Amino acid sequence: MNELDGLSLLAITLRTLALCGSSLVIALALGVPVGIWLGSRNFPGRRALLGLVNSGMGAPPVVVGLLVAQLFYRSGPLGDLELWYSTQAMVTAQVLIALPLVVALVVAAVASLDADWALQVRSLGIPPLWRHWLLLREIRLGLLAAVIAALGGILSEVGAVMQTGGNLEGETRVLTTAILMYTRMGLFESAYALAAVLLGLMLILAGLLTWVQYGEKR
Amino acid sequence: MSAPLSARGLRLVRESAVSRFELRIENLDVEAGRVLAILGANGAGKSTLLRALAGLEDPAEGRVLRGGEAAVTMVFQRPIALAGSVDHNVRIALRSQGLDSGAIDRRAEQALSHFGIADLAARAASGLSGGELRRLALARAFAIEPGVLLLDEPFDDLDAAAQESLSRDLRRTVAQTGVAVAVVTHDLRRAVLVCDRIAVLLGGGLRQVGPREEVLNRPIDLGVASLVGMTNLLPAEIGTDGVARIAPGYAIPTADSSIRGSAWVGLRPEHLKVDIGRGEGVSIGTGEVVEHASDGILTTLGISWAGHRLRTHLVAGRGMARELVVGDAVSLAVRPEDVHTLPSDSPRE
Repeated sequence: MNELDGLSLLAITLRTLALCGSSLVIALALGVPVGIWLGSRNFPGRRALLGLVNSGMGAPPVVVGLLVAQLFYRSGPLGDLELWYSTQAMVTAQVLIALPLVVALVVAAVASLDADWALQVRSLGIPPLWRHWLLLREIRLGLLAAVIAALGGILSEVGAVMQTGGNLEGETRVLTTAILMYTRMGLFESAYALAAVLLGLMLILAGLLTWVQYGEKR
Repeated sequence: MSAPLSARGLRLVRESAVSRFELRIENLDVEAGRVLAILGANGAGKSTLLRALAGLEDPAEGRVLRGGEAAVTMVFQRPIALAGSVDHNVRIALRSQGLDSGAIDRRAEQALSHFGIADLAARAASGLSGGELRRLALARAFAIEPGVLLLDEPFDDLDAAAQESLSRDLRRTVAQTGVAVAVVTHDLRRAVLVCDRIAVLLGGGLRQVGPREEVLNRPIDLGVASLVGMTNLLPAEIGTDGVARIAPGYAIPTADSSIRGSAWVGLRPEHLKVDIGRGEGVSIGTGEVVEHASDGILTTLGISWAGHRLRTHLVAGRGMARELVVGDAVSLAVRPEDVHTLPSDSPRE
């Protein structure tokens, strides 16, 4: 195995961004409605569901990876889909890691609204679609926190993506799995280069979102 | 013509781990072009009723009927600012209704200046003070130009000038637009100033509803009388001559011929005349001032008479020949038509 070249670094970085971006979008698409529903409704079993979500936040990613890998393994329940060691399996694992974070932070944001917020908006005669838009606007700081937390969780995760993607060159290799591989091989310069890119990405994305969040608060 | 908003056979229930609350309303109309004040003690269910009327709370039984398509909007006791500027808060409902930009501009600007917050339009609504937030909530509601406006304690957090202004605006808007208004307020004086009709909630139900003067001057029982400010309530024996005897040597003439024998006599403080001496009303003798409280405009006197403490209000500079102090003897008079009578078994709650 050779040292990492610039082209490979760029390809790994772009693949990482594409996979994490897809996972984030799916986690938000699923997690935000569920979070709003859980945060604004009172029904039997709600506490149990919230407990499950909170447990999910602390679930070890490597366990999530193991379960997803078993799911897509050739002899697993979804083996016929032939998605073992695929980007789809990696995205599935990342979504499962990010989902509890998104749901929990959206629940917290909705729960922090005034108890009469929804009634006040309804009493102004605002139609349902507009009301949903207003709610998202109202909890936007919580949404940003959810994006930062979810992005941090999936961008820096290595165990699950290794188990579900297999670190296949040109196919499923992402920044974290590549760092692990080059470290094991003793090619520390390549590992440092990848680590610098990963850190830089984290800093830029988190900084950007924090800046937006801070700007909103002012 | 049917009322724009009516409650029929309504039963509202609220249950928690420690308490249960139930309110029954057989018939209540919020009429167009009129202001209905809903009065009741704390916990009587005033806000719950208002929410049910607004369609924000489902009744256990009964229905809230809308007489037309006109919008029903409510201003909450604790006003809530939506995220964004003051201007956004006022415009958002108008935008969602699909109004053209000219109409939105006109209504928003009118509402903002009406409530004296035009200069705050660009400010973030989350940074407003309590009074400013109250004005914003009112401006937002008025901008919709609703058919029914439900106001929960609208005078809270407003200074005296803003309260006066809101009372005037409310009366003017009702007169100009024919909007139906229901107001929940603990401020009886303010309610009396703005309302045409009064509904009194007591003992888990609607005890009395009717024109303002009727409810204020002819409450149907002791409980309603206390709530609407008829604080002078005295046990009496009413003779066939219509004179209510309170104690030996103390009597009050009544014009009400419906009750004889043991009864209660009710008199609003403003109907007890003090030191008149100009032949207005019938003299009921002399009392002694035992309590004197004044805010510079309104003086409240406690007067000992026939072993009871009567209350009366005096407006500064109106008809008093002398400055009264505790210990002064004052002559008292009433007009028989101002004296209300209630059966001796009239419920207090």
